[in-house]
Amino acid sequence: MGFYPGAIKKRGKMTRVDEAVTVSVNQNGEPIGFRWRDQCFLVMNRPVRWFARKEWWVESARVQRGIGAGVLETEMWRLSANCQDQVMQFELVHQAISNRWQLVRVFGN
Amino acid sequence: MYQFTHLHVASAYSGHYGVTRPEYLAEAAAAMGATALAITDRNGLYGAVKHIGACLQLGLDPIVGVDLAVLDDTAKPIGRVTVLAHGNNSGAGWATLCKLVSVAQQHGKKQPPGLTITQLAALVQQGDSETGYVATATAVLSPDNPFGQLALTSNRSAALNALADWSRHFVAPGALAIEIVSLLTEPGSTWSTVQATRLVDLADHLGIPAVLTNAVRYLSPDDALTADVLDAARHLEPLGMFEPQPNAQAWLKTHGQMLEVAQEICREYKRAQKLLDVTAALATRCRLNPVKDCDWGRPKTPEKSALGITGNPFELLWQKTHEAIGWRYPGISQSKLQTVQHRLAAELMTIHKLEFATYFLTVADVAQMIRDMKIRTAARGSGAGSLVNYLLGISGVDPIEHDLLFERFLSTERTSLPDIDIDVESARRHEIYRAIFKRYGSDRVTLLSMQSTYRGRGAVRDSGLALGFEDDEIDDIAKNVWRFSARSFRAAAATKPELAKMAEALEHDRKLNLLVDITERLDRLPRHISMHPCGVILGDTSLLSLTPVEPSGLGLPMSQFDKDDMDPMGLLKLDVLGVRMQSSMAYAVREIARVSGKELDLDAIALDDPETFKSIRTTNTLGIFQIESPGQRELTGKHQPTVFNDLTIQISLFRPGPMKGNMIAPYLDARHGFAKAIYPHPDLEPILRETFGVVIFHEHVLRIFNVMTKCGLAKADELRRSLENPRQKPQIESFFRQKSSENGYEQKVIDKVWATIESFGSFGFCKAHGAAFAMPTYQSAWLKTHYPTEFVAGLFTHDPGMYPRRLLLTEARRLGVNILPLDVNKSTDEYLVEKLPNQQLAVRLALTELQSISVTEIARIIKNAPYADLSDFYLRAEPTRRTLENLALVGALDSLAGIGDGLGSLGVSSAGAGSDSQSRQITRGDIMAKVRQLNAVKKRPKLDPDQPMLEFDYSETLPTGNPEPSLESKVQNELRLLKLDVSQHVIELYRPMLDEMGVVQASELVGLRNKTEVLIAGVRVATQTPPMRSGKRVVFISLDDGSGCSDATFFDEAQKRCSHILFNTRLVLISGKTRRTGVRGVSVMAENAWDLKDLYKQWKAKQAQQVAS
Repeated sequence: MGFYPGAIKKRGKMTRVDEAVTVSVNQNGEPIGFRWRDQCFLVMNRPVRWFARKEWWVESARVQRGIGAGVLETEMWRLSANCQDQVMQFELVHQAISNRWQLVRVFGN
Repeated sequence: MYQFTHLHVASAYSGHYGVTRPEYLAEAAAAMGATALAITDRNGLYGAVKHIGACLQLGLDPIVGVDLAVLDDTAKPIGRVTVLAHGNNSGAGWATLCKLVSVAQQHGKKQPPGLTITQLAALVQQGDSETGYVATATAVLSPDNPFGQLALTSNRSAALNALADWSRHFVAPGALAIEIVSLLTEPGSTWSTVQATRLVDLADHLGIPAVLTNAVRYLSPDDALTADVLDAARHLEPLGMFEPQPNAQAWLKTHGQMLEVAQEICREYKRAQKLLDVTAALATRCRLNPVKDCDWGRPKTPEKSALGITGNPFELLWQKTHEAIGWRYPGISQSKLQTVQHRLAAELMTIHKLEFATYFLTVADVAQMIRDMKIRTAARGSGAGSLVNYLLGISGVDPIEHDLLFERFLSTERTSLPDIDIDVESARRHEIYRAIFKRYGSDRVTLLSMQSTYRGRGAVRDSGLALGFEDDEIDDIAKNVWRFSARSFRAAAATKPELAKMAEALEHDRKLNLLVDITERLDRLPRHISMHPCGVILGDTSLLSLTPVEPSGLGLPMSQFDKDDMDPMGLLKLDVLGVRMQSSMAYAVREIARVSGKELDLDAIALDDPETFKSIRTTNTLGIFQIESPGQRELTGKHQPTVFNDLTIQISLFRPGPMKGNMIAPYLDARHGFAKAIYPHPDLEPILRETFGVVIFHEHVLRIFNVMTKCGLAKADELRRSLENPRQKPQIESFFRQKSSENGYEQKVIDKVWATIESFGSFGFCKAHGAAFAMPTYQSAWLKTHYPTEFVAGLFTHDPGMYPRRLLLTEARRLGVNILPLDVNKSTDEYLVEKLPNQQLAVRLALTELQSISVTEIARIIKNAPYADLSDFYLRAEPTRRTLENLALVGALDSLAGIGDGLGSLGVSSAGAGSDSQSRQITRGDIMAKVRQLNAVKKRPKLDPDQPMLEFDYSETLPTGNPEPSLESKVQNELRLLKLDVSQHVIELYRPMLDEMGVVQASELVGLRNKTEVLIAGVRVATQTPPMRSGKRVVFISLDDGSGCSDATFFDEAQKRCSHILFNTRLVLISGKTRRTGVRGVSVMAENAWDLKDLYKQWKAKQAQQVAS
């Protein structure tokens, strides 16, 4: 922890990926580990959740009253995880309704 | 138990920002178990009164603040601040808030509303360096300020310095706080948890209280989509062209969810708890006591000194009204005098009991001031039911003569200030506003504001903007959004014939689907604030401590509260409504005096002139107040009014209520003797005789209650008002049944009367209001009957009606009123009445009608007239090239070249247009040639007597030999440039075809049998879709063919055949059958409609073929 608590520094090169991953979560819904490309990753820090927005006017077919915020925002997780002593940072998308996880960005290597 | 209090909440009254109405936010907060809730609208207290009202109902403590921009020294916004008023300090906090908002708004549109940090500090703290400072409000700095941005850069000391630099201005305890918000955005960005965490650290370090909010702008996450669209409307740019809100987290989160946010920000439980405690402490300090802090509900009127009164206001009122009896009732009989005095005493007693004497004196003072300015006035609304108002000159309707009830207007059962509305000449109403400000002082007067809301077309337009639709695409869609709520846009698309094309497109067009969805979302949200068209608030010197003001379009200060806020705040609102008809009538009276030297007092004419009623009964009511619409014309034909009270009844009948309640037919049947009037009980006959047993007026219901339950009229009005509330209805029913039964009425009678009263609910109309309206109706009809030329001049000048001006031209032709073309030597900015050589009167067109002419050009033309010739006009009036050409094209320069005197088209001096010029062989073609020569000169020479003009020949030699334009091209030019077909009616161009087809003229319809098959043609002048009892839509189309107006009715089947014609086509041919609707009433039951221009093209082509073969 630096001077300011809560900060997560992005380190290293960023790679975009778009792959489904299987994630295990704790009772608060926070990821504790996942499988990606046949490897197990263990979450090393307290993951940070945030909500990123989507451009529904480009992507969505309908936005009628009551459709829900899902067309506007996505739940994102940023975490450090380790696999065979190599620590990397990951960004995951969580689709709350289907409970599907998607790995979207990897930092480090 | 502790409950989280939201201290930063924008309601839908935050224009183009907030999404949820205050009532819903308060309800949701109450349902979550909150004990208090703040409203902090952007830039003002627009939703504050509604919020307080809702909180009071729900048992919440209201908190009120404002969300403003923080400005740097160059008045550029650099962040935002929420200022919360402290409560329970006898209004000091509320007053601070009002003044602070007024200061933030003082520059109007010239500068974004906001305050510099020093202004802010000076406004929230009272006192001086010796006695010390006390805070009356807390400024809560938002994370989007510069220190918040610095906090994100990890440069802690820079952030600390920036914050410390600001905080030193706030010395009073509780004057400043830091807003901690996490909208759970991407770590490292504004509104992120990281930023919030760092701001807690900064606040702790500097000892500034940190309070948690969620910067709420909508009730639920789903509403965030609507917020996106509002953002686009605010930025005036499509989505994707500006930085949108970060996500959908700014909603009214629950207590538990806010605890989670606090925990996530602070990490440590203890720090999180402290954050919540400090938030709660600020909330407590800001809980308002509406009565003590906002003077909630206590009526406020100008001080006696402002009215120039020294003694007891009630005694003065007593004296004034009694003195006026001789003026209003000259030569009154002893028995009538008794009636008047008795009624007056009763009214005065009520006014005394309610302590409203000052109120009445205030309104009377304003009315007197308006009369002193020689401006026409009339009362409207229930106020016309008061004898006091009549005697004070506030109203011109005698309530005794017209049998109107005071209790409908004011009673001891109600304590809210009554509404008195004054109609004045629209053209002079701003003069009146300024005079009111001058008379009472701008510390006691403000204008009233009004929140316009999104309705069909506006919602479509802003949705279209957000999605980046092209303007004409949106125009096309908006044009067809007609008489249905935008909330049900999708459903409407599926059922309305004119939206059929759109419904088809919805099957595959994604963008169009989004448009429909967001249009439905926008519907009925407040859109923007503007000046109320007629409201003025009159208060005492505390006014500006009770309401914030902002500059209006007029330049006068305008309250941020709207009309619904007046009663709760105890503010006196006076409606001074500009009515164009009053301007038109005043204009006609002035022209009568100017041209004929006759001084008319329109308010003193007898109300039983048979000629006037005869002319009304012809149904040619165009231009007459209130009864000129197609529906009213039809009703006039059926009703055939003969006395003043008939007009009152007719105006009151033509309302959605009576139409839905099927009250018109029984009334008409009984009136014309087709059915017998039925009275449920002989006791009710005197009450209902005027309407043949049909309950139409509120006054009827009051009297029925009074007669059958003996409850008194004041109580009866309370009962009538409560009828509108479904929850109270059962109590009223049992009261009515029990009391009537005690008074000996049979069960059968009680059942029948209750059934009528129950269904009456929303239907009825206040008779006083109807009678007040009937007055200008009668006056305008009287003028039209006896002074048609002057009346038409007034209508043209002030344009009071619902129809396009060219229809007035048709009506003028029908009335035999002479119309003179534009003439630069005679036309002005008004339609002047001229006396012709043959002593007939005529109306001269005004220059204002010409397209592209500017106000300054008109002023110059008027100032320098008359002109000797064309060159003289060119040099001295200095028209632009375009104006000069347009004037020539419509014949306004004809007289300069000596062509006729404009009388040609009237048949006064010669046989017809085109032949006037024979004497000198000069044509309008020659004038056009000269105009082209003049316009070819690069620069207009300045008039200088010493300098000879060498470059150009300004002598008046007109080029000759150019042909006179055809009548057809003249009419086309007139339509294009004046929107008036002056030379002849536009339909005449199609006459040969129409004659061949056997098309019937509007004036001939009345002579046809019922169910005759007819064709009618003309210019579509009105399309109406009034509410119908069956709920099915009926479209009324009015066509003008130069002989008058014909009305066609399209039911479902016919609409399907030709819906595209009904809303969009100008020249229309309609087939159908005549339908007699009354003695003088005929309309056409339409079967189909066509575009006349299309038909004409085909007809021409066919003719050409015939000629060829």
